[in-house]
Amino acid sequence: MSNSNKYDTAFIETFQVDAQRLSGLQYQDIKEWDSIGHMQLMSVLEEAFSVELDIDDIIDFSSYEKGREILSKYGVSMADE
Amino acid sequence: MVDVMTFAFWIRSANLERLRRAFAECDERLGLGVLLHITPSNVPVNFAFSYVFGLLAGNANMVRVPSRTWPQITAISSAMNRVFESGNHEQIRRRTAILRYPRNDKITADLSAQCSGRVVWGGDGTIADIRRLPLPPRAVELVFADRYSLCVLGASAMTSLSDKAMHQLARRFYNDTYLVDQNACSSPHLVFWNHAPDEETEARFWNAVERVVRENYALEPIKQVDKYTRLLRDAVELDGNAALCARHQEYLYRVKLKALPADMEALRGRYGYFYEYHSEHLDDLAPIVTSRYQTLTYFGVSPESLRDLVIGNRLSGIDRIVPVGRALDLDVTWDGYDIIRSLSRFISVSGLDS
Repeated sequence: MSNSNKYDTAFIETFQVDAQRLSGLQYQDIKEWDSIGHMQLMSVLEEAFSVELDIDDIIDFSSYEKGREILSKYGVSMADE
Repeated sequence: MVDVMTFAFWIRSANLERLRRAFAECDERLGLGVLLHITPSNVPVNFAFSYVFGLLAGNANMVRVPSRTWPQITAISSAMNRVFESGNHEQIRRRTAILRYPRNDKITADLSAQCSGRVVWGGDGTIADIRRLPLPPRAVELVFADRYSLCVLGASAMTSLSDKAMHQLARRFYNDTYLVDQNACSSPHLVFWNHAPDEETEARFWNAVERVVRENYALEPIKQVDKYTRLLRDAVELDGNAALCARHQEYLYRVKLKALPADMEALRGRYGYFYEYHSEHLDDLAPIVTSRYQTLTYFGVSPESLRDLVIGNRLSGIDRIVPVGRALDLDVTWDGYDIIRSLSRFISVSGLDS
């Protein structure tokens, strides 16, 4: 599975949302992405990509797009594979 | 249960890995032996953190949980039982006891007499009671007593915040305070505005907080009565030191002080009741800070200037400086203690071939 797919799957499975909904999705846009959902998403992403997210990045992770940017700092590239 | 989830998040493998690396040099350490933890009645997940601190430091742990049957305690201990029943963690299971017994000095004295370390969380009264019960000569004791916390906000950085960013800041402030009714030691009671006078920005902030409270907080009558009673008492006792008392209906009370009293730490709000003070000089905080002060949360003020406030003035209190929103993030450095090192011993060896 490509990194991009893994990333999308983490959102889809954690929040039970459709793939079409992901683009532009922001923290607290949907009720599933509240503070508890956020912690779940972070754990799932850490497992999926074997990374440890810094607390500041966890706080800054405010949208679907921002998350891609943050993960790229950890060497997780989402460029089309 | 946000607090249970916060604990679960803290013990996730990535965070434990981070800790393991941070404490890599602790390979030459061993736990002290058996620890007795006395955990507080007001913060239900605290027992679980205390247990994990003891475990990470390499100890066997007896953890006394509060007699009140918090659902959080039931949830965490059932999860622990499920893990232990799998049979994969037999060593740890044998070294773990989560205990609940009515307040009983005889039992606590017996357990204290057998332990190598005691970790006590609680109010001054509880700590005084427990301290009367002797420990073995070599045993250590970590005490997490009642503390006082404050928040420093710099309005110059807040003026330019978008409504959304202001809402997020208000949300973080809410999490530090209302989420635990301001009952946690690290929840601020005093908001120190550090900037040129800017009442407009201050009002914008408080209005944003009020909105978050309206949407999220269960404002039971007892809380409203508590706040109103406190306001009346303050009106009498502050004796002219209050410059302004503002009520955002029953959601939020603010008392702005003309001067910071020497016994500031006696002024404690609950359920959304804050004291405010305005000064362009951070050093104005120095005279009031005693060893009772624990956490300083900040926004719009540089953490360096706050560190300099504490270290430059050699203050006897404030041992934790974190951004607004992180007040309740319990970690292995707490109350100025390095908990892992304090609950373990270092084996020094000379003459090793390296």
